[in-house]
Amino acid sequence: MSATGTCEYQPKDYKSDLKPIWCPGCGDFSVVQGIYRALAAIGRPPHEIAFVSGIGCSSRIPGYTTAYGFNSVHGRALPIAQGIKLANPDLLVLAAGGDGDGFSIGGGHIAHLIRRNMDITYIVMDNQIYGLTKGQLSPTSQKGRTTCTSRYGSLEEPVNPLLYVLAYGAGFVAQASPTDLVGMAAVIEEAIRYPGFAFVNIQSPCVTYGEEEHQIKGLKAISESLAGLGHNPADRLAAMDLAQHYGHKMHLGVFYRNPEPPPTYGDLVKERQTLLSKDALPKERILDLFIKK
Amino acid sequence: MRKDLVFGMAGSGGDGIVSAGDSLLQAAAAEGYHGVMTKSFGSQIRGGESSCRVRISTTPILNPGGNLDVAVALNWEDFLKFGAELPVSGNTVVIYEAATGIPENQIPLVGVTPLQVIAVPIAAMAKETAGTERAKNTVVLGLIAGWFGIGAVAVMKGIRKKLAKKGEELVNANQRAFDAGRAFAMEHPLKTSMNVAVSDTKGAVKLITDGNDMCAAAAIFAGCQFFGGYPITPSTEIMQFFTDHVWKYGGAVLQAEDEIAGIGAAVGASFAGKKSMTATSGPGLSLKSEMMGLASIAELPLVIVDVQRGGPSTGLPTKTEQSDLFAAAFSAHGDVIRPVLAPTSVADTFRITIEAFNIAEYYQTPVIVLSDQEIASRKETLDPIDTTQFKIINRVQPVGADLLDYKRFKQTENHISPISHPGMLGGTYLASGIEHVESGAPTNSGSVHQRMNDKRTKKFDPLKDRKDLFEVTGNPHAPIAMVAWGSVAGVCREALDMALAEGLNVKLLVPYLLYPVAEGVYNDFFASVQKGLIIDQTHLAQTFKLLRMHVDLPKGVKPLARSGANPFLPSDIVAALHNLLSELQRSHEGNLQPQE
Repeated sequence: MSATGTCEYQPKDYKSDLKPIWCPGCGDFSVVQGIYRALAAIGRPPHEIAFVSGIGCSSRIPGYTTAYGFNSVHGRALPIAQGIKLANPDLLVLAAGGDGDGFSIGGGHIAHLIRRNMDITYIVMDNQIYGLTKGQLSPTSQKGRTTCTSRYGSLEEPVNPLLYVLAYGAGFVAQASPTDLVGMAAVIEEAIRYPGFAFVNIQSPCVTYGEEEHQIKGLKAISESLAGLGHNPADRLAAMDLAQHYGHKMHLGVFYRNPEPPPTYGDLVKERQTLLSKDALPKERILDLFIKK
Repeated sequence: MRKDLVFGMAGSGGDGIVSAGDSLLQAAAAEGYHGVMTKSFGSQIRGGESSCRVRISTTPILNPGGNLDVAVALNWEDFLKFGAELPVSGNTVVIYEAATGIPENQIPLVGVTPLQVIAVPIAAMAKETAGTERAKNTVVLGLIAGWFGIGAVAVMKGIRKKLAKKGEELVNANQRAFDAGRAFAMEHPLKTSMNVAVSDTKGAVKLITDGNDMCAAAAIFAGCQFFGGYPITPSTEIMQFFTDHVWKYGGAVLQAEDEIAGIGAAVGASFAGKKSMTATSGPGLSLKSEMMGLASIAELPLVIVDVQRGGPSTGLPTKTEQSDLFAAAFSAHGDVIRPVLAPTSVADTFRITIEAFNIAEYYQTPVIVLSDQEIASRKETLDPIDTTQFKIINRVQPVGADLLDYKRFKQTENHISPISHPGMLGGTYLASGIEHVESGAPTNSGSVHQRMNDKRTKKFDPLKDRKDLFEVTGNPHAPIAMVAWGSVAGVCREALDMALAEGLNVKLLVPYLLYPVAEGVYNDFFASVQKGLIIDQTHLAQTFKLLRMHVDLPKGVKPLARSGANPFLPSDIVAALHNLLSELQRSHEGNLQPQE
């Protein structure tokens, strides 16, 4: 690692030359800005960062950074991110995607990443809609919502990403929104600095298929700062209580930060590798394992 | 004296039949014999039927053998469930449990009169000598030592070692059971002696292992540092080996939440610069296929082992088949080539797995190793392998000037672009499943798509010239030919020897590289051929069809295919070759008739 201070890198050092495909006014523009700022504050050089996503509008995001990016397949950012982290624990590994990517097609992965507690930061750009495929119901769409696949209204309750990850046991859970870019950058930075799995849900409005109340103006109206409420982020049960209001209120800031972070999966792997390395036969003699005397 | 004996034993799950087979194989190895052992089970977790075949020989063994020389039935119900897997002929000595109450002239084998049938009070002898029927398998080992001269000393030496921790009394009980079996054999000599000759290599070091362990060991030897997978029969032992050993080499293993996450993590580890692999069986291969498409377009090295079993779906999960050939060759969506390699034995699983990593690394591609249940779970005795003869290839990385204006997917003369990995200064790029220009930036351009498809296809051209991935044996200009791969190849190698010994003019092609199809190799091979058999254990004759897609096969070349769990015997193949010869002779006679 070459950076020790916060001055060495500027947000623009993390911005690539690729022009985003997002619609003008899309919330994801703010998210990528928040990520540039957070990365500059942390100061890791771009080539030491691996940024993985799945498929969807928001999953284009790694390409808009100067990090090593991997825009993979729908729903599978987290398994790929874990393979990267296990192969090279020194990398800063970020994963990002939409609510459909993370909580529908790839919904089975997050529970397992959380119980493994790998040091990966996962940013979900939650817009309650499938934008790239032009406006179908998503797992976070409100019940009753009409879309092109729910002309008579959705019959399903939405998932609650915050409550899910808290219940799975995530060590760091936060929410942010483009209504407060400074706060968003701060939360992302804190998530990355947390030694273990960290989850940031970002309410990122879809200007093309999103509903009126999910646009910036509507979000502002229901926003509330967790710090302002006097919430203690070390209190997991209080965090779960507040998280129940997902979809009705928008609490911004850190819901939960484990005050005593347990060892990460990477720490445990390193320990095991060190412990067992003395038992290694030279590779050219590995077949000696099969000798029967 | 015989040079070769094939034992087949069956009982119910708790009878310890497979453990007896293991002891017999180890004893045979200690006595310098070559040996192969295959296991076959019902799909019950505990209990149910279980069986093994052990073939012992003074010369190297190509397959688990044909009809049994010795059949051991601890009960007939379980024995009969294995059908063609344990074939009894007129040359078989049948030994069975007397407590079944079935007279020797009424054993339930239809249409066959064995060489000799002997009822032995196996359970009673176990109870009497060891105090428990659980020693039945040791009595059987004693019978085998007495009648066939294998393991008289080595079996008990092995058992002694295995049970040393469990106390002297248990060892002594087993010794008594073993001695009782041996004494019974001595008191009831066979009508025709079937002793095996003493091996010339008695005392030489032998390895014993199965295909799955060999595959995992080869992967670690090749430099694999990451395994991501999910348990599935019959491939799980590969992951188990990694969990035991890969940490020692600074690597890691992830037992993932599902098949997709398993291969996903392996793709991630490869992107991060490490050699990585996953292993699965048919249904898992289907689940992994989207990720294989991703690895192909992102040009990431990756080895995927598919240990085939009967399919589709759960099919016959504990039995061997070769029916994933199409799935392997054409697994993912889109236009792309993924090399498919197949080992034919435990021994060559070492070389083929290393080749898979070398090809994956060199060509920056996923490679499928198409193993099968028989190879994966059969144990072979092996002479020590000189591992230093195997060359290891690593992916070409960008250096110096490459990194000044790095283009991950740069067009090059051989269509292979130096590949960077996170952590490498100057090498940052976007890997993606989206079509991309040379830098990695996404594109929708038809012309770029055409160019990149060309790149991703043409890079494999040299692979088709790898003659060392094909084995041709027999008479090079023979008019009669066979093609076989995987575990079936071993049967055909023995059939070839038998047919040549009978004077047939025949040859055999064994491809280790199944896909891309090396048209040139087949065209050369078939140039002299008028009649031939494409042999595989599939219902649809998949190998024949795959070859016909790419090669103009001579008209007289036909498939010989059957579903899994119906193993080919060398004698079946030889009979089929004789039929081809008669057809050939008839057609020649026909040609001599005056034409109207």
